[in-house]
Formats: sequence, structure tokens, C-alpha cells
Amino acid sequence: MRKCKLLSIVIALLIICTAVYITAARSQPQTRTKRPATPAKPTAASSISFLDVTRSAGIDFHLTCGSLEKRYIMETMCGGVAVFDYDNDGWMDILLVNGSTLEDLRAGKCHPSKLYRNNHDGTFTDVTAKSGLNHCGWGFGAAVGDYDNDGWEDVYITYLDGGVLFHNNRDGTFTDVTAKAGVGNPGRWGTSAAFGDYDNDGYLDLYVANYVDLDLDHLPEFGQGPFCSYRGIPVSCGPRGLKGGRDRLYHNNGDGTFTDVTEKLNIDPGSYYGLGVLWLDYDLDGCLDLYVANDSSPSLLYHNNCKGGFTEVGAEAGVAYSADGREQAGMGIDSADYDHDGWPDIVKTNFSDDSNNLYHNDHGREFTDMAGPAGFGPISIPFLGFGVRIVDLDNDGWPDIFVANGHVNPQVDQHSFGVTYAERPLVFHNLTGGKFEEIGPRGGAPLARRYVGRGLASADFLNDGHEDLLITVLDGSPVLLRNQSTKKAHWLRVKLIGTQSNRDGFGTRVEVKAGGITQTAEARANSSFESAGDPRLHFGLGEAGRVDSIVVRWSSGKVDTIGPESADQELVIREGRGSTESLPTKHR
Amino acid sequence: MPKIAKWLFRSLLLVTCLAGFLHAQSSPRMQILLREGQAALDRGLFEQAVQDFEQARQLGPENLQANRGLLLSYLQAGRLSQAAQFGREAVAHWPDDAQLQHWMGLVYFKSRQDTLALEALHHSEQLDGAQFEIHFDLALVLLDRNQYAPAAAELERALKLKSTNALAHLLLGRAYQNTNRTVQAIEQFQTALRLDPMVPLGHYHLGFAYASLGRNQEAIAEYERELKRSPDNPSVLYQLGHSLLESGDEKSALANLKKTADLDPQNGDAFYDLGKALALAGDTAAAVGALERSIQLKPADPSPHYQLARTLEKMGKRDQAQTEWHHFAQLKQAQPQTGGMASGRVQ
Repeated sequence: MRKCKLLSIVIALLIICTAVYITAARSQPQTRTKRPATPAKPTAASSISFLDVTRSAGIDFHLTCGSLEKRYIMETMCGGVAVFDYDNDGWMDILLVNGSTLEDLRAGKCHPSKLYRNNHDGTFTDVTAKSGLNHCGWGFGAAVGDYDNDGWEDVYITYLDGGVLFHNNRDGTFTDVTAKAGVGNPGRWGTSAAFGDYDNDGYLDLYVANYVDLDLDHLPEFGQGPFCSYRGIPVSCGPRGLKGGRDRLYHNNGDGTFTDVTEKLNIDPGSYYGLGVLWLDYDLDGCLDLYVANDSSPSLLYHNNCKGGFTEVGAEAGVAYSADGREQAGMGIDSADYDHDGWPDIVKTNFSDDSNNLYHNDHGREFTDMAGPAGFGPISIPFLGFGVRIVDLDNDGWPDIFVANGHVNPQVDQHSFGVTYAERPLVFHNLTGGKFEEIGPRGGAPLARRYVGRGLASADFLNDGHEDLLITVLDGSPVLLRNQSTKKAHWLRVKLIGTQSNRDGFGTRVEVKAGGITQTAEARANSSFESAGDPRLHFGLGEAGRVDSIVVRWSSGKVDTIGPESADQELVIREGRGSTESLPTKHR
Repeated sequence: MPKIAKWLFRSLLLVTCLAGFLHAQSSPRMQILLREGQAALDRGLFEQAVQDFEQARQLGPENLQANRGLLLSYLQAGRLSQAAQFGREAVAHWPDDAQLQHWMGLVYFKSRQDTLALEALHHSEQLDGAQFEIHFDLALVLLDRNQYAPAAAELERALKLKSTNALAHLLLGRAYQNTNRTVQAIEQFQTALRLDPMVPLGHYHLGFAYASLGRNQEAIAEYERELKRSPDNPSVLYQLGHSLLESGDEKSALANLKKTADLDPQNGDAFYDLGKALALAGDTAAAVGALERSIQLKPADPSPHYQLARTLEKMGKRDQAQTEWHHFAQLKQAQPQTGGMASGRVQ
């Protein structure tokens, strides 16, 4: 009957109209109290571009992380990388943390992490064999800091069953001092870790984010259970349904040992699924606060009361949840003052179907997620973000943002969800005025390719004034991206040496005035996801060939004022001396 | 002899009835009634169709076409109880007639007897799998029951039979969207709009699919296209306001959200977003009002309390903010978890 069609259409319309009223799940619109003061001044097309130089650089590392089908949750989270100058030759070296497989772990077969020495010519040499970085385990993250202030960077690596502190012996080797130091994080699955001096006693303390308390003998079966599916398809289980691991805060006693102050300071009482760690002084009171990104639970912001204690203020400060008060799955975090208002902002990556956050610091009181207005958030929705860095990639004086992406479930590739397992990275060019533009594949072929990205570190490997990037890739080779961006812009790099403050100068705030702009940055090595980057502070200066002044506010309270200085150099600033020395740099 | 007489009488009766039956089947009157009934259906004069087919059926109770027409007429006229009673008898009489099963499925569907509806429609589909309409209507019932995956399968079958049906593409897009196949959903919505630019809510659904992938600018453009056709549709206005808010254009969002709230004063989501937009625009006092209204409309939703707490903090009203934080924390415990694998939007 022809009337059938009409009836069908009538019914269809009824259904559609009914469906319209069914509330669609809301995403995360943004709130803020104010826009950044700087007027919008969109620039011309970005000059940011990168070249994949992994092979030519001699990086031959393969990251092993369980089965390819990712049957268990720990098979999805490997990928730590640390970039640091382990031999004090002034050039950034690379440590790539390796994972393992369940079978190999049980059989005692090792998948060593690798240390690559920078040859000063764009290539690296594998020096793992003699380094002593030979702990056999399933590794995840790496943190770097000179915990004993001897002038040589030490390394902390997190494992599935604890953590290992490697002391730098000053001769290219490291010694496992975990037992003596008391930072073993025994039996816990650590992910990211970070050094920071929260009590300003001049010694770096250590925070270790723990993810899930896993019993390897009773692992939840793939796809079996309420927390083992994603969009209706069976996947590895967790983290929900699994017991969270309580993070640990170790206080540095100054004698090579640490004291676990987790319980005393009421750290992570809810044992949330910790993934990202960031020390920052968000309220500029001179005491390092702490931000922890948690998976599938509220992220935590610990305000340092400058009296040895913390108060968790994440919800009130607006950084615990999405802008709608929903839990997110925080992965990587980083901080920088992206709009030059003098206050450190925070960026956080999240799971797919969710927006990454760009928390604008509203002058130390609270944060407002500007991800939407900034053009940073919505585009990230199909991507599952891990490593993230805020760094000036084109030296125009405005920090850009780089995000390494990659899903956790390879099974998504068998469906048309709009998300893929391997994903291209996102590169956000800072347009000024609080706006960003995702430049996508315009930044070169490596930015168009898809990776199962995890860790991310930035560093000036060539000491040429351009920040390069290193992405770790699950079950694959890392990607070393050489910065090919404009060579015209000026820059300044600052290396800090604390004397009363911790030797690395972590937590020190540096203000650089040049070209009519004052930039501020806080020294740290550990951020992103399971990663540590170049601890030297990098400032793009744009057309300014001279730095008017540099103000260094050490965590000890001392202030050094330096300048004017010429651009395009690395300055080494020693606390309290007010003097600088310039290191030779390679110019393109 | 009496036995032979009886036998002859019965035979005569049978022949007479058969002749009458055949006459009724093919009589001009019957043909006229069937034609008029069909014409009435075509013109939407369903009561007239009922009369025509009832008369036709009186003339020929065994006439399948008359029975089909009468069932469909009852259905279209909204005489569902009559349709159900009559339909059951007809289906019992002609159990293998796909069309009767089809109509009966729709009678059940309109009577909110979805299980019986699905049973009848599936039976109809088994009897005649080559009919677009059967797959389409089966999909409608499945969509109504939020069974998006099987609905998608039915619509795929329907579109293999008639690929130019815009509405089927639109509904398939909805089914894909709700089974997290957003990329495929966008393709279907685009196809539907290409086939019929006026397909109902086509731009709206396409906009929603774009928004779910974070492509807010494209979503906004689609919502604006939809609004040109239906400027006072509160759902479209709301989604437009929401996407504008997401993309940081709270001023434009405000206009749409205010209009949504006026048109649909029971829409708690609209008041929630309106509160957010007002707070962003600096009108915190008005924001508080809108958020409080949202809380009234959605008392179990923690989000308005979160937003209100933050707004009150900004206003320096810490005590009131603390109360809202408390409500937020309480409601969070009762809410399904979000984030990570629990993320994901469905329409």
C-alpha cells in the first residue's frame, strides 16, 4: 500500500522529534572569570615545522609493553623518557625507559632501558652497557633531579613493582641507591614521578604517582567484567574496578635518604589512579604546590601552606574536574605562562571523547578552563592525549603546545568510532591573545603521521636555540623530531645552578624582559607524562636581539637581577652571585 | 435417495456460494470500493477509507485486498483497538501474508506493544525480505526502543533496496551516532541532505555529529542552517547555544540560550548553559538565578551545583559556595562515573 510510506514518514518524524528532546550528553563548555589582558593579534601562518631524524640520530630503541592486543592495563601505559645532561658536557642526553611482557617478566627476561649520549652533532651513542642503568623490570616513567646537590643529575625510574633511584657517579655510570635512600615505592605501580623542593630546604623531594594496585597472579581477564569494555567492545580491564595505588611523597632528608611523608601530609588519601605529576608554584608565594592528574577520578591540586603541609584545593581551584564538574581521565600535565600575565597556567591531556584542559591561572586564586575559547580543547576530543609540553617552538616569544596522542585500546581500529589507536600529534601555535591554532600536518610529514604516543620531552638537543621533541611510541621506536622552524627569531636559554636553593634550581622563577614583553618561566625537569625534559629554561625572543633584564627568583628567596644581555646564547646563572657565564652555542 | 438428495443440495449450495464469492471478488462494485478506498487513503481521508473497505469486505469477506485495506484504514484512522481485533483475525486467516503482518506490526507499535510489534514485523520480514518499507518500519520500532545496532542493520538492508530514501539515511545516521560510529553517521547525514535538502532535522543531526567530534564551527554552521527552516525549535537553539559556548563565544551563545529558555522553560540543560554563559559574561547575579533554576529542573544533576559553587566563589560568597560544594559532593556519589572509558557521547 502506498500509504505505508506516509505512515512510516509520520512515525519517523515523531521519533525524530522525540529524540530531539532527549538530552544529549553535554561536553565541557568552558568557564572563566576574565580573558587574558593581551589583545588578540593573530599572526601569519606558523613557521613551526619538524623533521623526523630518529634513524639518522642513531636512536634504535624499541619500546616493549606487553602484548600487541593490550590484554592487560599495564600493557597500555609504558613510555617514559628522560632528557638530561648525565655527563655534564652541556648537551642533552636521552634515557628511554623500557617495559616488558607478562611472560618475560615472569621468566626473568629483561628488556633494558637505554641511555643515549649526545655526540654534539645530532647523533647519539648507546651507552647503556656501561651506565649501570640495568635494573630488570617493567619500567614506566622517569624523573630527573640532583637529589644530593653534587652537581650531577640523578634518575628515578618507576616500575610495575616499585621504583629505583639511580645515583649519578660522575663518571658515566649510575648506582642503584634505592634501598639506602628509602624511595623504593615497594609493590606499587608507579607511573610519573617528579622532583621538587616543597619545603625549600635546598634538597629535592620526590613525588611518585601510583596508578593501580595490581596482583599479577590474578589479573582481570580481557573483556570480562563491567569495567572491561569500551563503547561496547571488549578491551583490557580498568582502571575502574581495580584498586587504586596511593601516591607517595618522599621528603629528602639531605643526607642521601628520604622519609615517606605520604600519610603524615595526607597525600592521595583516596588512592586515585595517578598518572601525571607537576610541581609548580601557582600562587607565587614561593612554595611549590603540586598538581596530580588522575585517571577516571578527580585531579588533585595540593596548595603548599609554606609550613610543611598541603591542603588539597583542586575542586575549589577549578582543576579537579571538567568545566561541568565531571571526572576526567587526566594523563599528562605541564605548566607555563602562555599569555604572559605573570601567572603559571596548566595544560592537561585527557581520554578521548573529552576535551583537553587549558587552565588559565586567575592570579593564583583559581583556574578557568579556557580550552574552548583558546581553540585548544574541542579539537582534542577524538584524541587520547598523553605527553604534553608547553614550549615556544618557533621562538616568537609565545609558548606553543605540543600533545602526543595515542589510544589505549587497539580494538578501536576495528570500529568506526571516529577514534583510532594510533593518532597524529596535535601542535597548537600560540596566536597571542589567549588563542591557539592547531597547525596539524602543515608542520611537516612527521606531524601528519599517526603514532601510539605516550611520553613526550622537549629539549634543545643541538644547542642551537630550537626546542626539539622526543615522543615515545608504544610497541615501537620513539620519534625524534628536529625543530625546523624559522631561523630568524632570537632566543635565550638559561641554566640555573642553585647554591642555597636546590642545585637544579627547580621551582625558581625567571622573568625575562625583551622586546617589550616580560616572559616568566619556572624551572623544572619533570612534567608531561612519565617524562623529564630539558631543565634549561628556553625563551623565544622573536625579533628582540637583546634581553633587557633577567630577574631570577630562587626558591631560597634570593633574587638575582641580570642584564642587559645579548640574545641567542645560553646563560648559566648561579644563585646569589649575580653573575653569569655564557656557554658556547651552535648557530644554524 | 434421501442421501443423494442431501448431497445434491449441498453441492448446489456450495456452487451457489462459490459463484457468489467469485462474483463478489470480481464484481464491479468490489473493484470500485477497493479503488475508492485506496484513493481515500492516498488523500488522507482515513475514515472514508474505513467505510469503503468495510463495504468491500462485506461484499467479499475473503477478499485479501479488502482485508489489507481495512486493517490499514483502521490503523491510519487511529482506531487501534478495532485494528488490533480485526488484524488478529486477518493474520490468523492469512498467516503468511507479509503485508498483513507488516500492518499488524505497526498496529502493535502504535499501541505501545513493542514486543508484539517486533514479532510481527520480523515475521513480515521473513515472508518478504525484499520490501524496503518492512525493513524501514522495523528499524523505526528498534530506534524507538533505543536498539540502535539492530536498527542500523535494518536500515542498511532497507537502503540496499532503495538507496535514495533520504529519511532512511538520516535514521541510519542516528543509529550510527548512537552506536559511536560518528564518522559513518556524518556520511549518512550528508547523504540524506544531498538527497533531500529539506529532510527533517538533517542539519541538526549533522551538527550534533560534528559537535561530538569537537568540530564546533562546522556544528554551528549546521545548526544555523537548521534554524533557518525552524527558527523557534528550542532543541536546535539549545545545541547552537551549547556549541557557541563550547567554542568560547558566550555572547552569541547567550542570545540562543535565552531564547531556548523562553521557548522551553522546563529545559534544565538550557538554564545550566545559560548560567554558565552569564557567568562568563560577568553577570554573576543572573548566572546564579539561571543555575538555581537548572537545579530545580534537574535536582539529581551535580553539574549545576558545581557551576553554582564556582560562581558563588567568584562572587566572594564562600558560605553559600560551601553549601553548593556539599550538594555537589553528595550528588557525585550517586552519579554514574565519567571520564576515561566511561567517556563518550551518544545522541
